[in-house]
Amino acid sequence: MTDMKKYILKKASTEVAAPDPARQFRINYRNELNPAQYAAVTSVNGPHLIIAGAGTGKTRTITYRVAYLVELGVKPESILLLTFTRRAAQEMLRRASMLLDARCEKVAGGTFHSFANLILRQYAPLVGFDSSFSILDQSDAEDVVNLLRTKLKLDTRERRFPRKQTLYDIFSRAVNTSTPLKDILHDEYPHFEGLLEEIAALQRAFEEYKARHNLMDYDDLLLYLRSLLRDHDRVRRSLADRYTYLMVDEFQDTNRIQADIVRLLSQQYGNVMVVGDDSQAIYSFRGATVRNILSFPEDYNGCTVIKLEENYRSTQPILNLTNEILRRARA
Amino acid sequence: MTRHKYTKELFTRIPGGEMPSIVVAQNENLQSRFVVQKVLELREQGVPLDEMAVLFRSSYLSFDLEIELNKANIPFVKFGGFKFIETAHIKDLISYLRVIDNPRDAVAWNRILLLVDGIGPRTAEKVIEDLLRRGTPQGGDGSSGSTLPVFRPDAASTPDKLRTLFEALRNVAPPHVTPADKIQQLLQYYEPVFTKRYDDHNKRRKDLEMFQQIAERYRSLNSFLVDLTLEPAAESVTDITATDAEDEKLVLSTIHSAKGLEWNTVFVIYALDGRFPTTRAAMNDDAMEEERRLMYVACTRAKEHLFIAYPINVYDRESGLILSKPSRFIAGIPDSLLDTWVIDEE
Repeated sequence: MTDMKKYILKKASTEVAAPDPARQFRINYRNELNPAQYAAVTSVNGPHLIIAGAGTGKTRTITYRVAYLVELGVKPESILLLTFTRRAAQEMLRRASMLLDARCEKVAGGTFHSFANLILRQYAPLVGFDSSFSILDQSDAEDVVNLLRTKLKLDTRERRFPRKQTLYDIFSRAVNTSTPLKDILHDEYPHFEGLLEEIAALQRAFEEYKARHNLMDYDDLLLYLRSLLRDHDRVRRSLADRYTYLMVDEFQDTNRIQADIVRLLSQQYGNVMVVGDDSQAIYSFRGATVRNILSFPEDYNGCTVIKLEENYRSTQPILNLTNEILRRARA
Repeated sequence: MTRHKYTKELFTRIPGGEMPSIVVAQNENLQSRFVVQKVLELREQGVPLDEMAVLFRSSYLSFDLEIELNKANIPFVKFGGFKFIETAHIKDLISYLRVIDNPRDAVAWNRILLLVDGIGPRTAEKVIEDLLRRGTPQGGDGSSGSTLPVFRPDAASTPDKLRTLFEALRNVAPPHVTPADKIQQLLQYYEPVFTKRYDDHNKRRKDLEMFQQIAERYRSLNSFLVDLTLEPAAESVTDITATDAEDEKLVLSTIHSAKGLEWNTVFVIYALDGRFPTTRAAMNDDAMEEERRLMYVACTRAKEHLFIAYPINVYDRESGLILSKPSRFIAGIPDSLLDTWVIDEE
């Protein structure tokens, strides 16, 4: 394989042309947005990081940008909007439709998990699953763990073994934080450190069980989507052609797997706008890493950073205090 | 290059606004009572209950406040974590106390019997029947607790496994043992049960401490239990002109669960160094910065009124220290940005 030559195909141009200054838009973006919001909304091609401070109209900005892209002539189906809840995506697209027209409803929107589900249904065999795979919710997954825990006779009268909820929490943390089991036990459940081998055996059994029965849990959806994109160039390119404009909300709360997915999806055309606030990153215990947003400009060549700082929620005395709290943060 | 933050300076074009305040309370209960009184005051000035929120770092930090809100008949909803008395391990402890207070309480008996290794529902049922048959002594605050036949079951009919349970109950039943002391002694009995039953007992242990701490204010077991279990009497707030909003409730929330939301008035309680940030975070720079962001998220939820409160003289069992300093994220912020209030009793 190593001495094969590569023939590089040039990027197909999917970029929409820069708007003609004389062009008439149906929405008066300049009037309805503040200058920073306007700059964000009218940024079209290339990577962008929007730092949206608390109460600065983040939802409004995303909504208007969807409308703007559609007005420019981007096909709505080729815009992919990833948010943290399905409701958030639906709400933004509903508002965009009201703002512009029903075309915005055709925008592809959802959570990382719902997007992964959609894509994996199509390509499941490539990651070793049947496309009719079922999804285990948390309690289903815990029940499977429990079943195997009993089957492997891990719980004995002499030695107590962790409960199903604990075990599943340990497995899930390991996946979401890309951390070895050993370290999870050491940090979170030191009293079970002596059971590392048995817990690791159970984890393997859990993985085998899911594979054999065509089951994926929530973590698997992300993991398999990432492998699909990473290991199957053809699929990655076809998805990049399908979703030429990628937007990601709450980027400060993404984990490493999600950041990898964003990178793999956008590397072809580079039209990716991530929105978030590093100062509001508070989910590291669930595996999120603030590094994703902090290193975005370095990770994406030619990235433009736009900050939204005009606040529509709080009084100035409250903002003076919160600004001071931030000023004292590690620089 | 490692970047740790994007600098930002939020501003509004709307002029005016009241200064945020830091509120120092001599103890935890005064902090709770401050919140209660201020909530009622603002409610009278026309701020709806559901436009006010009390935010905290960890779920257990609102336990004392929940009791005070119940007493004042202020309806509330809690997001993130469970309500104090609904958590399983607190329910366990309350059940021990309930059988002392009312030896006929079969529900509580059932719970604590099932906590004993090797006792199943059928044995529990038999034991309870036996207990009830052998007399119904005067309960009520364990007034005659030490002599209750209930806690001295016949040798013949009692499974061996239950002996230590009865012994523990017998020791703490006398009325001269204060509620806090009862709990302290029961905790020794409960410890092995607790660590065995809950895999995450490390995280739950703080709740037990808090429980004991709250009990310290009570001399009567019965009034302690009544305050704990009292449901908000009605959905409406007494002494306040009711509006048409029947479901109007004060919001209690962990900061994590408050993300993305906003309220007219926000109270951040337990802004006490060692609680927020937690002692644990002090060992790790990244964890400390995340705590700071939590404080930032909490404060940026407020539209008009922001009160950051902390109690002093809080004993931290884990470290053996008395916590009395404001959160380091707030300490040393100039007076020009933050009013300081001290709580005093009438």
